[in-house]
Amino acid sequence: MKIDWLAAVLALAALAAIPLVFTSSYIIGVMTVAVCYGMWAASWDFMSGLTGRDNFGHSLFIGAGAYTAGFLNVEFGANPWWSLPAAPVIAVLFSLLMGFPTLRLRGPYFALAMLSAATVMQNLTIIFSVYTGGQDGLNGLFPILDSTLAYYYLTLAFLAASAVLLKALANSSWGVILRAIRGDEAACQAAGINVTFYKIVSLAISAAIAGLGGALYAHYQLQVGPDLFAVVLSINIIIMVYVGGIGSIYGPIAGAIFLNVLTETLRGLSEYRLWVYTLVLMLILFFLPQGIMAPLWQRLRARLA
Amino acid sequence: MLQILVYGAVISSIYALLAVGFTLIFGVARILNLAHGAFYALGAYGAYTLTANAHLPLWLAAILSVLLVGGFGVLMERILVRPLRRSMLAVLLITLAVALMVEQVLLLIFGSEARNVPSMMDVTYHFAAVDISGQRLLALGGAIIVLICLWLFLQYTRIGSAILAIAQDAEAAQYMGIATDRMYSIVMGVSAAMAAIAGVLVAPFQTVIPGMGLLPLVKSFAIVVVGGLGSIAGSIIGALLLGFSETIIAFKISIEWSQIVSVAAVLITLVIRPAGFFGKRGAF
Repeated sequence: MKIDWLAAVLALAALAAIPLVFTSSYIIGVMTVAVCYGMWAASWDFMSGLTGRDNFGHSLFIGAGAYTAGFLNVEFGANPWWSLPAAPVIAVLFSLLMGFPTLRLRGPYFALAMLSAATVMQNLTIIFSVYTGGQDGLNGLFPILDSTLAYYYLTLAFLAASAVLLKALANSSWGVILRAIRGDEAACQAAGINVTFYKIVSLAISAAIAGLGGALYAHYQLQVGPDLFAVVLSINIIIMVYVGGIGSIYGPIAGAIFLNVLTETLRGLSEYRLWVYTLVLMLILFFLPQGIMAPLWQRLRARLA
Repeated sequence: MLQILVYGAVISSIYALLAVGFTLIFGVARILNLAHGAFYALGAYGAYTLTANAHLPLWLAAILSVLLVGGFGVLMERILVRPLRRSMLAVLLITLAVALMVEQVLLLIFGSEARNVPSMMDVTYHFAAVDISGQRLLALGGAIIVLICLWLFLQYTRIGSAILAIAQDAEAAQYMGIATDRMYSIVMGVSAAMAAIAGVLVAPFQTVIPGMGLLPLVKSFAIVVVGGLGSIAGSIIGALLLGFSETIIAFKISIEWSQIVSVAAVLITLVIRPAGFFGKRGAF
């Protein structure tokens, strides 16, 4: 356990040191985006990785958070700091709306309802272009902090806080119950556990962090568009979780940062991002169902200990 | 009023074609096929490229396109889905990966601009102050004929009975000597071909773009939830309900709000009657 936290602190220090080593604003930008993806992947993993209820529309919460930031900032001229508390609240409302009908049921309903809801929201943002700016989205958000470097540290701090929160929850009795739901839902119910309650609250926590990440992303891009609701975004996040190792929280964060940096480093690849990701997904599904990062770390830790 | 009736019937029949294929492969093989919309898009693009580039007559292009997509479905089932069938998440992910791949390939070959497919029946009929193009009527008639053929196939052929037997109890069917794996391939082919037929039929009056498969997938899912996952009769009724309510809302309120119908229908059904109209409770 100790070695896990030590490694986490080291990883955080490494992430914090990157802009000091590579001072270009381009790299800071890439890392800021990667950190946002890290928040999204970790929050996906907390709900879906632990309980086994796969969320195919995580972008619903991301888009909800980002558009909340966009509306507050562009339409109402609110101080950009307000986005940070408001975005998670709206995302949680969405999660309750989706969670209550679908999470009571077994079967694929939750996965597909999330997929549908995200797709329909994407269409609605295009259809109601008077309010949402349509395909172009909302432009002209204000930055929260003037310096991109300071903003990178702000997002990194939020990532670290979310990771600690999620990991602590996953290691607590709460996490045990979530994993038990994954194993045998009927047995949990028989043991007197209100499984629906646990699943819905977990989804709400997951949505809050995804929405917060969406708002941070929006205030970095200074623009929000319908693509934030896209199915492709949800799938990218799932792929990152898979690469990292499902159910481990820290693995998906590593996976998200790794894949973002990889596609940005291989400059020629960024156009074929989706191809690379789909290929990676197929390889993992067939050959490495445990992912890459988490098993590597397990092996390394065994050697260190 | 009559206009709503006709347009609603056309949309419902196409939805039924899509949803029945989607529910068939789920009911028989327990495969939730997220590439179903991709088959639909491939059908439309197949008809387009075979007429525009290979200069085949439209009817031949349509048939070839449907057969090719059916074959693609069989290949996908054999190579990609079968090894992963034990895990539902893996099946969902692999079919979704196929859907994304298809969209990317179409984007690469045809670009993002909309393509026009010529109409198979270039006439317009007038019924009591309603104009309706021949193509829409053809879509309606074609969809009904295909659905009847499917029903006859399932009820009156040996393969059809084998498929129905697997849907009831796959293990028992295997003990009776039915080659379940081969049947899964056949059903996937049939389901893919039906989606392609829907794509071919609507291509002349729909915008043919690489991402055109996503919305039909969402609609199919909504219909299947309303009707009951795995029930063919349920999906036909669900298609009628969804098709007509979308058309009514499009005509009476605005076309924008009709987009919300499918998601609202899913959420309401799951709250009131999660099994859908004809689904069995606790089937999962």
